Amino acid sequence: MSTQVDPRGPRFAAGVTSAVLVAVLVTGWWPLLAAQAVVFALGGFAGLRYSPYAALYRALVAPRLAPTDEREDATPVRFAQTVGFGFAVVGVLGYALEVTALGTAATALALVAAFLNAAFGFCLGCEAYLLINRLSTKQRKVGTAR
Amino acid sequence: MTGLYVALGTVAVAMCIGLLVRSLGGRTRVSSAGAVPEEVRAVLDPGAAVTLVQLSTEFCGNCKQARAVLVDLAGSTTGLAHADVDLTDQPELAKRLSVLRTPTTIAVDAAGTELLRVGGIPKREDLLTSLRPHLPG
Repeated sequence: MSTQVDPRGPRFAAGVTSAVLVAVLVTGWWPLLAAQAVVFALGGFAGLRYSPYAALYRALVAPRLAPTDEREDATPVRFAQTVGFGFAVVGVLGYALEVTALGTAATALALVAAFLNAAFGFCLGCEAYLLINRLSTKQRKVGTAR
Repeated sequence: MTGLYVALGTVAVAMCIGLLVRSLGGRTRVSSAGAVPEEVRAVLDPGAAVTLVQLSTEFCGNCKQARAVLVDLAGSTTGLAHADVDLTDQPELAKRLSVLRTPTTIAVDAAGTELLRVGGIPKREDLLTSLRPHLPG
């Protein structure tokens, strides 16, 4: 049994992420995107509870909501965070190296995913695991013949 | 200024995708994929006219909800069974099945032919209506 989380936590985090990514697009200020990349990395690699947005949810939001028995698996959410991390890193590189189109495109794609999660509860990274997996195995030269 | 337009445009696009996924997701489509691969045939319930084969991964967000719908439907419908195939470590099989997203559910008859396909959390009544002609009674 993998770790279970209150599904409203990741949803809240996706809302904060969306706001941050909008701010990145408007300002083009890459240090903010770098900070978001760190947040993605903490949630994806260390665990959801280490994400600053999860801490924010626990401290400010959860006490104001009725408790819920509803739980979801942490694994898909963590996977989606690592996908977000990838896009954020590409975005930071784009902005920092003044390839602004790349920075903008990567940030916009991350925003689409974060917004879908926040507004519709739809986890794009989770749904598309097989697609992402297929794209990544294509590049791998060995180990594809199972 | 460009950034502001990009941000607004992106949110608008995401809004459209979300509404589209919400309205189209979970709909039952008639499948023309033909015979299922051996790995899927192996999980079919030999006693059932149709098996709902749920294709999942470890990283699937909505598989739990989809499973609840399918298990309930199979449990209350004569001749209908439910089975699970985890594609996390089987990218090759996922490719042969042409599955890009999870949950995806395929309805397979006893002969191993894929009848129907549903992407997303299946809509119970919609799926049952499409299954009717393939079920006994």
